[in-house]
This record gives sequence, structure tokens and C-alpha cells, in this order.
Amino acid sequence: MTEGRIYLSELEVDALTELVNICVSRAAASLRQMVGRQVFLSVPSVEVVGRADAVNLMAERETGGLVAVRQDFDGAFAGRALLIFPEANSMALVQAVTGGELSDADMREFEDEALAETGNVVLNNCLATMANMLQRPLEMSLPGVMRGEGARLFQLDEAATADGVVLFLYINFAISERDIRGYIAVLMDLSSLDSLKTLIAEFIARVVGPSAAAEV
Amino acid sequence: MAGPHDMATGADMPPHLTGALGLWTWDLANERVRGDARFAALLGLDPGQARAGIAAADLYARVHPEDRLRLRIAVAGVAQGAEVFAREFRVTTTEGVRWVQARSRVEHVADRRPQSFSGVLTDVTEQKRVEDRLDVAQSAGGVGTFEFVDGFGTVDVSDQFCRLLGLRVADTLSVRTINATVEPGDPPLIGGVSNAEPTFRSEVRIRRADTGEPRWLAIQGERRIAADDAGPTTVGAIYDITAAKAAEAQLRELAATLEQRVEARTQERDRLWSTSRDLFGVVGQDGVLRAANPAWLRLLGYEDSEVVGRSFLDFVQADDLAAAGRMWSGGDAAVALEDLDVRMRARDGAWKWVNWTVIPQGEAFYAVGRDVTERKQLEQQLRQSQKMEAVGQLTGGIAHDFNNMLTGILGGLDMVQRRLASGKPAEAQRFIQGAIASAERAAALTHRLLAFSRQQTLDPSAVDANGLVLSMEDLLRRTLGERIDLAIELDPGLWSTVVDANQLESALLNLAINARDAMPDGGKLTIETVNVQLAAGAQSELAPGDYVQLSVSDTGTGMSPDVMGRVFDPFFTTKPLGQGTGLGLSMVFGFARQSGGDVTIYSELGRGTTVRLYLPRHLGEAPAAEPKAAAPAPRGAGETVLVVEDDPAVRPVVVELLRDLGYVALDVSGAEDALAILQSQRRVDLMVSDIGLPGLNGRQLAELARDVRPDLPVLFMTGYAAGASRRSDFLGPGMEMISKPFAAETLAQKIRAMVAAQSPGTAGAP
Repeated sequence: MTEGRIYLSELEVDALTELVNICVSRAAASLRQMVGRQVFLSVPSVEVVGRADAVNLMAERETGGLVAVRQDFDGAFAGRALLIFPEANSMALVQAVTGGELSDADMREFEDEALAETGNVVLNNCLATMANMLQRPLEMSLPGVMRGEGARLFQLDEAATADGVVLFLYINFAISERDIRGYIAVLMDLSSLDSLKTLIAEFIARVVGPSAAAEV
Repeated sequence: MAGPHDMATGADMPPHLTGALGLWTWDLANERVRGDARFAALLGLDPGQARAGIAAADLYARVHPEDRLRLRIAVAGVAQGAEVFAREFRVTTTEGVRWVQARSRVEHVADRRPQSFSGVLTDVTEQKRVEDRLDVAQSAGGVGTFEFVDGFGTVDVSDQFCRLLGLRVADTLSVRTINATVEPGDPPLIGGVSNAEPTFRSEVRIRRADTGEPRWLAIQGERRIAADDAGPTTVGAIYDITAAKAAEAQLRELAATLEQRVEARTQERDRLWSTSRDLFGVVGQDGVLRAANPAWLRLLGYEDSEVVGRSFLDFVQADDLAAAGRMWSGGDAAVALEDLDVRMRARDGAWKWVNWTVIPQGEAFYAVGRDVTERKQLEQQLRQSQKMEAVGQLTGGIAHDFNNMLTGILGGLDMVQRRLASGKPAEAQRFIQGAIASAERAAALTHRLLAFSRQQTLDPSAVDANGLVLSMEDLLRRTLGERIDLAIELDPGLWSTVVDANQLESALLNLAINARDAMPDGGKLTIETVNVQLAAGAQSELAPGDYVQLSVSDTGTGMSPDVMGRVFDPFFTTKPLGQGTGLGLSMVFGFARQSGGDVTIYSELGRGTTVRLYLPRHLGEAPAAEPKAAAPAPRGAGETVLVVEDDPAVRPVVVELLRDLGYVALDVSGAEDALAILQSQRRVDLMVSDIGLPGLNGRQLAELARDVRPDLPVLFMTGYAAGASRRSDFLGPGMEMISKPFAAETLAQKIRAMVAAQSPGTAGAP
């Protein structure tokens, strides 16, 4: 959050964090339904950095040994949502979502498919909520499973303008009674910061009422 | 999570607010909040009112304006379906501003809005302050902290934690990001700990994300049971230990390379040993060489195997054995010996002068020898120049002597001729003998001079000091001049000594010249020889034993103690510029010490000086005595011409000539006798006097003669050619001069002219 204050006010970061908090919570609810277990979420962590810094940041971040389901979105602003967990956890997750009905061989065969479906349910829910909250349409791609090269997971559209900002958001999750840990990351290419600020202001006004928002 | 039904229990509890935990329930539908007594106390509400519930707007009113909207957004988030509620905010109470934290967890159910949510309210004022202090402490102490819930992909970190890893400062970092900085092969910083250990500590190598610089970090922490249901939490700290690690590594390196460095140092010494031009040797207390450096091969031609195991003395010239033996003699074993010159035999038989320094160390002696052969040659040359300078100083006296001798020869031959012409061959015999004696003395002097000036190397041999002194007697007498009496007192049983005869002559002559110069008004020089036996310590510089002592004493000016202290210093001189090199006594000293002897000097101002040479006794056979110099020529008798001439060869010639010419000749050898005659009533018409006389000289005698016989004509005879230039200054009225050697005819004419010029009667008795 430290860097974010350069681009967004503390309140705006708060609102954005809350926005994502709501979305991820909805997604977690979906996951909870799928696995039939309690799913815990952590307090969200948000960073907003310049694109030039983002390249360094991404190089510092994840490197290999991961499985991720990703879903890109485009609309008022573009981005990518990721459901990330350690590679060793992926089979356990597949088992959890399939309710233990598949044999090991089958699970291996359907691993990627099951992961993609899980991601689709979780992330789609998340992004749909966000579009709904911001009252702007978002176009969503099909979910894809990615492995290994972590740096690539975080790469956004290379054609994006160099002077934009990138938002990183992390929420950890843990599935109770299953040794499944992971996190959801949302990367947004904030190519139009002004439009985001407008959306945030609208969101604030909507959730707390126009009179309260006017106090800011 | 506490339910609303629990709230009554907290009502009676005393409101200890620091760290107090209040319980609350937020009714979203009716926008009201209910809380327990601590909740009420934390917000400054009436407990009863809080229990009954207050309007959310009333609660917002108590929140600090800057935090109010943020709290509203968070609450709205929960209403919209957010599951996690966590917010810190400030409340204003009568007791001031307080930081509190509200936390809650709501389970979202699809398609159903939550009606209410419950949570806890904590006073974090103190915690905030502690955190601020901790931040400062972390920055100052370079300690970074982290908190990690098992299995989560991210870690809550402090700013300093990020800085230590070279990462951009963030509140949260992914586990992979942190572990990616760790060097491959090292355990991960986060999540690498066995679950069984409640506390842990490890050291990890990282490569800083920003600079790539390798650093050592220590990580220390403990695992805690989960605060909520999320899972066990690891709380820990990291700090940089690179400097300590570097020091540790350096220490290991030092230990590992110690041997190597010792080896290198040894090689350096070896190089010095191998490349030095000086001779290095390690010698045992038995005098046997234990080791020798390659310089022995370069300088002397010996291989290592030819040196090691042999006695050092095997390489020393016989004459230097005594001195060399002192190098490792038991007596002064602990004392370093410096500056000892010894001749060493090279493999090809040549001799090299080597200057040794010997340092005793433990059981061995370390000897360093420098080749000083060239220096020795220069010294030899210097000695030769010194000798030639002495000859130069003698030149005046020698010219005088030679003229005297030539006078004796020429005069004698002239008389022979006259006797033969007058048919008296029997009388000629006497003059022939006189002339021969003079010629022999001249020849002997020439021989001495040649012998003296001949360049000779130092060659100690058995020498009869008495014979040497006697052989030099003539030379010394002439060197000293007529005004100095020479006394020679020799011990008839004198031992022979081992010295270089040539050098001893040079030393004796040097001492004689010094003595002469110390007696400008004449005096007595005594040369004495005697045997001495020195006990230990009698003469500090000398080993106890037998010595031949040769002393030279004068009755001259003597020396002050200040001068005495410096007489052996090279180039120290009391003589005027250009008259001495100042090397005389230092050469004598060098000669004596080099010969294994010594020199002592005793002097008193105004009384004279005695120099004693101690020379080592020669224990072998006595050398053959040198033949003595020829006897002086015979003397004659006198009449009315007073002849004052100390030279017994010249005097009879002059006397005979005068008698031949019809004069009565009175002859005396010195001024005192001459004065006795002049003060008597005897008739003297003319005085013929040598200028150079023992005691009073000719000119002084003439002055005294004029006191008693004012008109007495005086004819001076002189052997110095230089006298001619000062003739007018030297001669008074009625005085004439004639240079030796002179023809009889010239003398006859001179005397006749002077006697004729003297009116009869006036030159009679006073």
C-alpha cells in the first residue's frame, strides 16, 4: 500500500481494497460451496505501482513451482485475476472439488480440467462481482491453467502504455480440514487512473450514501 | 467470535482500558450497534446505553473525522458481501484520542445479504506506540520482522525486512519472492522450518534483489498457535550477519593459509641467503661450519659440500688464525663480534680479505662475511702514499746529509790529489779512507731510502727489533736534525717479534717525525726496547702473554688530554695545513692492532710524549742480524781558525785544508765548545762554522761570538741549497757563507779574503 499513495489517496486505496475484498469474498463463497469446507480469507493487501516499477516487482515475485488459474478481463480497465497455489497442492484441490469420487489416475487425467473449472467458478464470480459493484461491463476471457514460470503469470499486456500504473492485490485463502493454501491475486492495468478514481468515488457514494461521501 | 448474548457478562468488570477487548454486534438492517461494558468504555459511551444499542451514526460521530469514512466503507463492504472486516481508527473521548481496532469475520452466503455481524474492539493505542518504537528500533538495529501464517502465499513484513533483502518496501511480500533471494542450496527463509520446533534459528545466504550483492542473514523466530482458525503463525526476525561471517571466513582463511605464508616468508629468507654476495655461514660452537650460502662458491669457489662439515679455521690464513679463533672462542661466546678482517683461502689458492660479523644465537654462531679485498688493496696504497709523504718530509734533511757526505768525499779526494802532487802518497791514505767512509754512508742512506720507499705488501715475519732500530739509526739522526739528541737503549736479550719489518720501520719513522715536530727548539729522543710479560687485563686490548715493547719518547711540547683522545683518529693533525696528512699515528695504530699488538700513548703538556708499541713475541728462531752501518770518518786537530762542524767527515777535511793552507786550525763539534774557546784568551782570527749544529745553530753561535769578539769574521758552511735565497737576510757584517760541497780552492780563497780584510790586532783576545 505504501506505493499506492502516490497515485491514489488513502481513502481510495481503502475503497479499492474493500471492493476487491467483496469480490474475493464472493468467490470464496463459491469455493466453499464447491469443496463443502470452511474457507478462510486473509485481510487483503493492495499495492499500486508505476509500470516501470512493476517490471522490477514482477521479476522479484513468483518464480516457478506454482500452479495458477488465470482469467483476463477487459473493459473500463483491463487486468488479470489469478488463483494461485503451490504445485504440490493442486492434486489436493482437484480431489476437494471432485469430492473424492475420482481415482488417482483419473484425477491426473482431469487435473487441468478440474483446475480450470475451479478457477472459472472462483474468478468469474470475483470479476462478475467487480463489474457489478462498479456498474461497468467487463469482458472476461476463458480461464487457463499455467504452471511454473511465475514471472510470466504476472505479465500483463505488453502493448500497454509505459506510463500507466499497475495494481497488485493479494488475498490468502486456506481451506479448512484440507491442506490447501493459496492466494488470489488481481492485477489491474490502470491505464486510465482518472476513470478508476471516478468509479471509486461512485462506489463510495453508493455504499455509504451521498451525504457521507460528501464529508470527504 | 462472541455473540450478543455474552455481552452482559462484561458489565460489571472494571474498565481497564489498556489492551481492553470489547465485544460488539453491528445490526446492518437497523443501523444500530450494541456493545458490552468495555466496548462502551473504549468509545466513551454509557454502558447501559451501549448494551441497549446506539445508532450507527452516533458511533460514527465518535470516530475521528479522518477515519470516519474509511470505517463506513469497511462496514459497507461487509454489507456488500466482504467476509473480512478489519479496521483501525481513532475515537475521541473525554480522556483524549484513542486508537482502536475493530475486527470481524463474516461468512458470505450466496444471494443473501448479511443482517448483522459481530466482532471485537481492541485498544491499540499502546500497541501503536510500541509499533512506532519498534519501527525505529528495527531501522536502527537493522532488524526486519515478519509474520507468516502457515500455508499462506504471502508474508506480512516490516519495512526493514524488505530493505534487508533489497526489495521494494511493502507490507506484504509473497513467500516465493522472499525465498527467491536465497542462494540455491540454502534453506528457504520462509516456510522451511520443521513444524516440530517451537523456536528456530538459522543462517542463510541471500543475493540482494536490487544489487545482486551476496549477504548473510540470520533468521530467528518462533511458531505460535493460531490466533484465529487460519493456522499456526510464525513470527520472526532477520538481521544481517555478513560482517561477522566475513570475519569468520577471514579467520578460517588465515588459519588455512598460515602455513603457506610461513612458507612464503621462508622463501624470501632463502632468496636472501642464496643471492647475497656476502658469505653467510652457520658455525657450531666447535667452529665447524653447519651451513654455507652459495656466495662461498661465487667468492671463494667452494661447493657447499666442500664447506659444510669443515672447520672454519681451515679456510683462514695462518697469520689470522689467532684473531679468527676468537670468533667462536668460549670466553666471549655471548657477545657479537664485528668488523674482524681475516684472509680466507679461495679454492684456486688466492687470498681474499673478508670482514666478518659473528652473532652468537643459541647453540650456533651466525657469521656474515663481506669481501674487502679491494678495500685492503686501497689501504695498502694509502700506506704507500703515507710512506712517500714521510720521504717527502725527509727531503730537506737528506739533501743536507748528502751534501755533507759529498763534502767529505770531494774534500778527501782533493786532499789526496794534493798529497800525491806534493809526493806524499803515504799521507793520502787517511783521506782516501775518509772519502770511502763518506761514500759508504751515502750509499747506505740511499739504500735505506730506496728500501723505505719501495712498495711492499704486508708480510709479517720474525723481526729483530733491535737490529731494525740500529739499522735506522743513521736515517733517524738525519731526520731529527742536529738539534735533537738521539738516544737508543736496547735490551740485549730482546725477543724477536712477528711483524711486517717494513711497516715497523715506517711506524718508527713516523713516531720520530712526530717527536721531532714536537721539539721545535731541540730536545732528546729516546728509542727503547724491552721485553714485557702482560698479565690478563694489564693492557685491556691485549691478550695476556709475551710482548716486545718498543717505545719512543721525546722531551717536546706534549699533548693536552683533549688532543690525546683523538690522536689515533685518521686525518687528525696538529700540524699546519699542508705539513701532515694526520694519518701518521692512525697508521701506526692500525699496524700495531693488525699485528696482534697495541699502542699506548702517554703525554704531559710541556714535558713530552712517550709512545709504546706492543708487538707479539716470536717464539721461533731469531733472525740474522743486519750488518751495521760503516764507521764515521776520523777526526783531526786545530790552530787559529776555529772550525765548528758537527760532521766528523767534513770537519777533518776542512781542518786539513786550513792546515795545508798555512793556518792554525782549532776544531770543535758544537757551539758550547766553540764558545769556550772564544771566551778564552786564545787567538782566533776567523770562525768557520756549520749552520746546522746540535743545540745552538751556527747563526746563534755567531751572535754569541760577536758579544765577546765583536769584529770576529764568521764564515758559514751550509748544506742547504735553499739558503742562498735568504743569504742577505741571514748574514750580518763580516759574515760570509759557503755552500757544501765546496772545492778546497774556493774555501782557501774565501778564508784568505776574509782574514786579509780583517785589520791585524782588532781580532785578537777580548
